[in-house]
Amino acid sequence: MQVQAANGVTVISMDERFDATIAQKLKDTVKSLAEREQTRLVIDLSQTRFIDSSGCGALVASLRVLMKNKGDMKIAGPSAQARSLFQLTRLNRVFEIYDTLPEALKSFS
Amino acid sequence: MRSNFTLKIEVPAKIFMLRPLGFFVRSLIEQLSDNCDASDVIDRVELAFSEAFTNICRHAYSATREGPAIIEIISSNDQLTFVFTDFGKGFDPEKVMPPNLDEPREGGLGLWLMKQVMDDYSYRTESDGRNVLTLRKKMTKSMPSPMEVA
Repeated sequence: MQVQAANGVTVISMDERFDATIAQKLKDTVKSLAEREQTRLVIDLSQTRFIDSSGCGALVASLRVLMKNKGDMKIAGPSAQARSLFQLTRLNRVFEIYDTLPEALKSFS
Repeated sequence: MRSNFTLKIEVPAKIFMLRPLGFFVRSLIEQLSDNCDASDVIDRVELAFSEAFTNICRHAYSATREGPAIIEIISSNDQLTFVFTDFGKGFDPEKVMPPNLDEPREGGLGLWLMKQVMDDYSYRTESDGRNVLTLRKKMTKSMPSPMEVA
């Protein structure tokens, strides 16, 4: 998991697998960002081949924290597997999803 | 499927085991699935495996109660079967309410997802205290998923 910030937007790039081994780390990172008022966030899933319900849960928790702090979260580059899981769980109605990272970043401008 | 076999492994039911197990299971299924031209079937099996192992780590055992997970992977006649055995706290799957998908939550999706993506789900607690979860999937080109039909 990598965290980068530019032009007032933080990008968190997730690894190949986004499961329970990394879910808590994302939640802790987003909480820490919110405490520093860095609440405009893109979760970059372009390198993520696999996500499970723990990953989805961490995304839901992250979005809640950011919304509570008047921020927002966009998702960029989900794989076919991620898109399928978002559809199955109806999280595609909850998350703002963009095909690419540049598109997600542009949405904040 | 390429061959019929049974593979049995015993691991500590710890979340740190999920990643190496996930890569192993994915790789194994890909090797076996030369008759299965739909990667979404492999994705679903990998998802069910991840949900099952995570549930054992989080719910059967806990931060204060450790134990093993015994995982059997059975390949037979184009069908893949996972049998997970743990010695932790059991539960009654009939008493687990399906999630309200209109109200997203952080958790509570694992059991429901396993039932959605696999052909067969069964769970029982044996008289000796073992909890046995069995998941089956026909490894042929998938039928349209529920969301594709909807």
